[in-house]
Formats: sequence, C-alpha cells, structure tokens
Amino acid sequence: MENLDYARLQMAFTLGFHIIFACIGMVMPFFMVVAHRKWLNTRNPVYLKLTKAWLKGVAIFFVTGAVSGTALSFELGMLWPEFMKHAGPVIGMPFSLEGAAFFVEAIALGFYLYGWKKLPETFHWITGIIIGVSGVASGILVVSANAWMNAPAGFEVVNGKFVNIDPVAAFLNEAWFTQALHMTLAAFAATGFAVAGIHAIQILRNKQPELHKKAFKIAIVFGGVAALLQPISGDLSAKDVAERQPVKLAAMEAHYETEKGAPLFIGGLVDEENKKVSHKIEIPNALSFLAFGDFDAEVKGLNEFSEDELPPVAIVHYAFQVMVGIGTLLMLAALIYFIALKKKKSWFDNRKFWWFFAMLTPLGFIALEAGWVVTEVGRQPWIVYEVMRTSEAVTPMPGLKYSFFMYLLVYLSLGLTVSWLMLRQIKVLNQSND
Amino acid sequence: MLYVVLFFTFFSLFLYVFLGGADFGAGIVELFSSKKDRDLNRETIYNVMGPVWEANHIWLIILIVILWIAFPAYFNIIIIHLHIPLTLVLLGITFRGVAFVFRHYDAVVDASQVWYNRVFRISSFITPVFLGMSFGALISGEILLTEDYASVGFKDIFIDPWLNPFSILTGLFYAALCAFLAATLLIGETSGKPRKIYSRKSAFYTIVLVVVGGCVLLYGYLTQMVFVMDFLQNWISLAAIGISAILLIFLWRSIRREHSVLTRVLAGIQILLVIFAAVHAHFPNLIITSNGDLNLLEDTAPESVIRVLAISLIVGGAIILPGLYHLMKSFNMIKIGMRKSSEE
Repeated sequence: MENLDYARLQMAFTLGFHIIFACIGMVMPFFMVVAHRKWLNTRNPVYLKLTKAWLKGVAIFFVTGAVSGTALSFELGMLWPEFMKHAGPVIGMPFSLEGAAFFVEAIALGFYLYGWKKLPETFHWITGIIIGVSGVASGILVVSANAWMNAPAGFEVVNGKFVNIDPVAAFLNEAWFTQALHMTLAAFAATGFAVAGIHAIQILRNKQPELHKKAFKIAIVFGGVAALLQPISGDLSAKDVAERQPVKLAAMEAHYETEKGAPLFIGGLVDEENKKVSHKIEIPNALSFLAFGDFDAEVKGLNEFSEDELPPVAIVHYAFQVMVGIGTLLMLAALIYFIALKKKKSWFDNRKFWWFFAMLTPLGFIALEAGWVVTEVGRQPWIVYEVMRTSEAVTPMPGLKYSFFMYLLVYLSLGLTVSWLMLRQIKVLNQSND
Repeated sequence: MLYVVLFFTFFSLFLYVFLGGADFGAGIVELFSSKKDRDLNRETIYNVMGPVWEANHIWLIILIVILWIAFPAYFNIIIIHLHIPLTLVLLGITFRGVAFVFRHYDAVVDASQVWYNRVFRISSFITPVFLGMSFGALISGEILLTEDYASVGFKDIFIDPWLNPFSILTGLFYAALCAFLAATLLIGETSGKPRKIYSRKSAFYTIVLVVVGGCVLLYGYLTQMVFVMDFLQNWISLAAIGISAILLIFLWRSIRREHSVLTRVLAGIQILLVIFAAVHAHFPNLIITSNGDLNLLEDTAPESVIRVLAISLIVGGAIILPGLYHLMKSFNMIKIGMRKSSEE
C-alpha cells in the first residue's frame, strides 16, 4: 500500500472513532436533562441518581470526543495539507463557528458538572440544555464543511488557485441541509438505541429495574422518534445525491448500466472486474422512483463514467446495504416500542421484548459508520468533488504507515479503556442502595 | 479587518499559553513533587481547574482554525514541516485529557488510579515541551523549504528543524513557564500550609524559568542564530524583557506576601511580555527558514474570507468571553477585589 492509502486509512479510522464519541457526547446531554427535569418535578431520587450516572458518562465521552476532535483539527492539515491550503479559507466559516459552539458547550459543561448545589436549580438545569444545543450546533457545522466537499460552492478555480471566495455560499452549499439533517437524526437514533440497549441488558439482569426502566424509556423515545423520521431524511438525501453526484448513487446501488425505469438492487455480490452483481433481489423501477420520484426516470450507470472517476464500488454498495438494512430494522423497533407503550403494556413484562432491544445496542452505530463510508468512499477519487483529487491533497511526508499504526493502537486502547470504564459505572450504579 | 483577525490570533495564543499553560503546569508541578504534595495537588487542581480545564484547551483549536482560514500558506508550512512534533503534542493532549477525566470520574477508585496519575503527570510535562519545540523550530532557521521533497533527506526536512538544541531549550522553557504559572496561580487557591508550599514552588519555578530562558538566549547568541541576534538588537523586545525582569522583583514580593490577585496579574503580564518580545523581534516574519524569512501578512486569505472570519470571531467572542468570565467567577477562579489574605 502507498502513503496515500495509509493517509486515507488513518483519516477514516480517526474520524470513525471521533464520530462515535462526538455523537454520544452530543446526544446524551439531552437524555440527562430530561432525567434532571423529572427529578426537579417529581423529586424521585431515582431520577437524580440516573442524571448523575449519565453525567459521568457525558463527561467521559465529551472529553474523549474533544481530544480526538482536537487531533482531527490538526490531522486535516497534517494528512491533507494541499486540501487545507486551498479549501481552508473557503470552508473556514463553519469551522470557526463550530469552534465557538464547542467553546460554549465546554463552558456550559463546566457550569453543569461543578454546579450541583452551587447554582440556582433552574439555571443549573438550563446549562445542561445549552450543552446539548451547542453540541448539536457543532455537529451540524462540521457536517456542513463535509457537505461542501460533496457539493463545492462559493469559489472559482483560476490557474489552480481558489479565487472569488464567498464563505457564506460555501457554508450554505447544496448538500449541507440534507446531510446535516441525516446526520443529526442518525446521532439521536444510534445513541438512543445504544443507551436503551445497555439499560435493557440491566433490566434482563434484574438489577435496579426501576432505574433502568426509566432510563430505557427516555433513551428509546429519543432514538425511536429519530429512527422513524430517518427514512424521510434518507429519501431527501438520496434524491439530492442522484442529482448532484450520480456516480455515487450508481456506486451505492452497484448500478452499472444506464437505464430508464431502473430496478433497485437489494444485497447482491459485486464483481468489480466483470462489472456484474450476482445474488441480488431486484425490485423493478424502484431505483428510478426513489432517486427521481418517477418510475420511468433514467438512472445513470457506472459504465457512463471513465475509470479514473469511479469510487470503489463494492465497499460503497455493501456499506449502503448495511446502513439501509439497519435503518429499517431500527424503524420497526421504534414502532414496536410505541405500540407497546400505547396498546400492549404486557410486552414490557416479556423478556423477549428486552432481549430484542438488548440485541440492537451496537446496530445504530454500525449503520452510522456505514453511512459515513458511503458518503466518503463514494466521493473518491475526489477530496473536493470534481475539483481536487485526494491524491493531490496528501502530505509529501513519507512513512504515514507508522503514523497510522500508532493511531490505531492508541485509539483502540482508548476505546477499550472507555468501554471498561462504562462497565464499571454500570456496576457501581447497580450495587448502590440495594 | 485583518487586524481584528490578527488581534484574535494573538489573543488566543496568549490565552492558550496562559490558561492552557497553567493547566499543563499543574501536572508538571505534580510530577516534580513529593508524594504528600502530590495528593494535595491532585485535589487542589480538581477543585480549581476542573470546571475550566477543557475550555482552556479550546484556545488551541481556535488558534489553529484562525491560522488555516486566514493564513493558509503559513499553516501549510507549519503543518507539513512539524508533522512529527505536532503528532507528539496531539498524543500528549489526548493522554493528558483522558487521564484527567478518568482519574476524577472513574466510578471505582482502585489501583488503576496509579496509572491515571502517572499518565496525567508525564503527558502534562511532555506536551508543552513538544509545543515549545515546535515553536522553537519555526524561529530556529532550520526549516528547509523545498518543492522537491524526494531529493532532500527525510531527516533534513522532518526531523532536524525541531530536534536540535535550540528547539529543545525552547521546549523546556515553555514547560518551565507552565510550571511557574501553575504554582503561582495555585497560591491564591489555597490557604495555610498548602499556600506556603505553592509559594515555595512558585519561587523555585521562577528561578528555573529565568535560568532556562537565559540558556535559550545564550545558546542562540553563541551560535549566531538569526532570531536571537535580531532579538538582542531589537530595543523594544529587550525593553519588554527588561520590564519583565523588573516586574519579577515585584512578583516575588507579591508571592512572599501572598497577595493572590496581584500575583496573578503580574504572572499574566509576564507571559504577555514574553510573547510580545518574541513576536515583536521578528514581526511579521514569524517563520524563519534556512532559505529566508516568511512574512505572515503576505499571502493571507482574500478579503472576503477575512471579513467573514473577523465577524465570526467578534460574535463568537461576544458570546464566549462573558460566559467564560462568569464560569471562572462562579467557581471563584477570579477573585475580584480580594485583597491580601495573608492574615488567615
């Protein structure tokens, strides 16, 4: 493998790591403030205990997200100096605003963490809300910068230089809204189901069931609503990609031939050499409809594009299948929960119900990572779509192999340590007041 | 508008050196303490810096973001040539940050605390050393600009600029500065015997700081380095160092009398003077390479970008600074009107 491949692997790995922690750090504050509000309203000590337990989680995830985010702000330049040299000024606006939002979040977290019994109750609670809101704002702003790479706007290229820069137009590029919406919902769904799943496991183990059932309910309502809304956002995203990045859409679907009334492929094995997909399920005309809202619309196939503009098709296709498959499953799970809540309370006494949600714990994050693989690998070979190639952006420094393996080792051990800490948190939570 | 951006650039640099530095310093002070003092320090810095320690480090992100948006050509050189020391800085920041949180938020307190503490202290020391080395590399005149990376050796481009005596001394100087800041700021947070301990440590690190700072200049003078020679011939920079030396006398007095507010203000002024002297000596040619100087104000981002950035910074600053002020005030990190409290 070349330097470029290691640079891409390192970026993918560090981003993939950061995304998990950033999402949890951005969504969990919402769960926490709901539990906190319930404590203030009911004065039921279980809610206070839950709030404080989640707060410890938030602190650990926030810091892990923050340090890995600091590393990323450097890595963008370290791995892709040519990209940052040209694109840095163009996409600077969302990044500078993100810095501000992140700062607000850190200040609010300082108030919230250290404010117990020191600040007026309502003010203290509101600082918790600010953590969540500014966290979501940071997320949206960063995604906007990524959207610009998919839908470059707000500049012209003259003699290899980016001129006539309009940072506001770059910020409000065509892809930012659909991407930001999709990512925010994904963060809520993934975190909601993961937190709910962990509490479902505790309910199965019959440890502190009252606390864990309350925790489960808060998390699953957030995650469930997001999972139910996600297909709508996914449809908006698909139509947007079909319009702007037809080659990415074709790779997502592993669709080689250009045709009218194109069928949707579900699953299947991609043979990139012979440009064929076997063992797939075909739904006639469905792709044309999903991409353009018209059963007979023409969908461009991969064969339409020259070889040096194609992304790795198989990876993108499989990742897309994983994302959509899990998304559908989580949507059904959300329906099951809401039916149980409204009509079938007896399901809550059934162990199979809790088993089901326990099994779903990691799935949201797998879908979220798969989604990022679709959007990032699907944009290759471009770092800025149709403007700059990834190979033109990479650092001239050799030996990125070592840097990649170092990050791999460091982040893996960090991930393991954080998981171990979470297990300890749960253990302590379960032991107290028994 | 460029001046607004420049102001915020140096403002965040100052705050990072000052607040982030105090944070690193707390770990350094702990590293070089006796076992008993370590436990004291651990509790003190949790109470004192806990609420803001994360905010302190965001100034670095703000600084980096300003650099890449407004001064992309500069950023490009820094980030390519200092890839290795900056990676080490990042590792240090990562380990330090998580170790701090782990040691205070792990639900179970057991033998693993030993590891959290160890990692926290060591990375608190190493990170500012590499940060200082990176800064030293920029002004060392060792950076080799080239279009053709393949024909120049890896060591010449990516190792030598930061791994040389001058850069290492600069790194140690910054670490000493951090320890000095932390010890000085912590005097005001404690009372009774701990206060005596920090006063003693503060005096100790002031001496270390002056000695290491002297070594940096002496080494540069003996090897005829461009930056140091210019620094020594620049009257304003020398005056700034002179003032800081005179203020040191007042600082020591203030430390001995345990005035916490005055001590902090004086410590802040020290940092401001050191940064000012270093930056002024060569402004705007803040990167000195072996093939010549690079002017910060040449090759900046276009006016449209600078304008939007300046507005974002003003708006962001208007939200953040009052928030940060209230945070510090709420948790007694800023003690307005607090006069000498040595009577306790």
